[in-house]
Amino acid sequence: MSKVLTHIQQFILLVGIQIIVLNNVQVSGYLNPFVYILFIMILPPKLPKAFVLILAFATGFTIDVFENSYGVHTAASVFLGYIRPSILSLVSVKGGEDLEAIGMKQLRFARFFTYSAILCFIHHFALFFLEAFRMSEFIDTLGRTLFSTMVSLLLILLIESIRSKTYSK
Amino acid sequence: MRNLFAFLYRYHVFLVFILLEVIALAMFIQSHYYQSARFVSSVHAWTGNFLEHFENSKDYFSLKKINQILAEENAALRSKAFTSDLSPANPHVTPHQYISAKVIKNSFNKRNNYLTLNKGSKDGIQSGMGVCVKDGVVGIVRDVSDNYATVMSVLNKQTVISTRFLKSNHFGEITWDGKSHHFAQLQSVEKYVDVSIGDSLVTNSFSSIFPDGILLGTVNRYNRDKSENFYSIEVALSVDYSNIDFVYVIKTPQKKERQELESKLNQNE
Repeated sequence: MSKVLTHIQQFILLVGIQIIVLNNVQVSGYLNPFVYILFIMILPPKLPKAFVLILAFATGFTIDVFENSYGVHTAASVFLGYIRPSILSLVSVKGGEDLEAIGMKQLRFARFFTYSAILCFIHHFALFFLEAFRMSEFIDTLGRTLFSTMVSLLLILLIESIRSKTYSK
Repeated sequence: MRNLFAFLYRYHVFLVFILLEVIALAMFIQSHYYQSARFVSSVHAWTGNFLEHFENSKDYFSLKKINQILAEENAALRSKAFTSDLSPANPHVTPHQYISAKVIKNSFNKRNNYLTLNKGSKDGIQSGMGVCVKDGVVGIVRDVSDNYATVMSVLNKQTVISTRFLKSNHFGEITWDGKSHHFAQLQSVEKYVDVSIGDSLVTNSFSSIFPDGILLGTVNRYNRDKSENFYSIEVALSVDYSNIDFVYVIKTPQKKERQELESKLNQNE
């Protein structure tokens, strides 16, 4: 039960950071960091996969509603939730099903880095591609994805290192 | 029957995935049509409330700047009131009305940018109205709830604004390529038009969204390939999208009458 509460806490915290802080930081069109995806990344691997998809849908929808982005975040988040098990099995020895939880503590830095970098890139690419929805802007979309992924990843690793320290006691 | 259940069970994750993606993409595709996002506009009623809360806490810090902007605007309006001829050419046409509103959320660095205003249908705002500030055009109202409205800014791939050269009345269309919030693109200007850098572009009265003559920007750069019939023109936008606090929503009085009249043309074709 306390684990459920922890995840609800993390949802509110991450989505809150996204809506209140990051959505208001407007440096350049090429830098739009999204950290809320960390919530989907660190859901326990033992959770039914269909349920993860529903949670991803809810998370993306919440962001969409506050961003006026009409389904773009929802689509990208659900996609992230769907490919998450494959990426997890890529970075863990036994396919990840044996893990109690996903985090920097369980996977160690290098593996967590790979895991979150791949997922972050795919999510951001899906997101920006849908947003532009034009092949003619492909190079621009790719640039946007690369730069935003770098910043998102940095923030995600920062938040995750704090989180894994707090919850490891 | 048993096989069907076995199939459903085996692929249930994939099926849920497809179902959820279809819902998400349906929302996305629906957003490309005006006034169809009913569901979204009802959600705005409560997100607007939330956003306003945070915007209010920021207000205090920008009071000085806002005061200055309002004072400047007052002065500009006052001078206008004395110099311009207030009686419209057609006595039956009532002049445009302006509804002032505060921006409670603004973005300018996404591919598709929207603003949220703190006034809605209760204050007379409707979908499809034009929005401007003293420097020029900001965008077009998209969805409206009781107390809030969202505005598609010029910085949006769906926004197309009909425009004309101030000096020559030649017209074109303003769109945005998503690169910089200082510049937009002007299209459909034919090759025989005389274009020079610094030319002002204003709205025209082709659409009933904006009244004639509101500034959009100035020509920043232009070129034309010999093989092409149209110029490609870059326009420096007159509005600084990173700094918008108060806007005016423009209510066009005889809009419905005009639309009904013009829609008859399409029916006859």
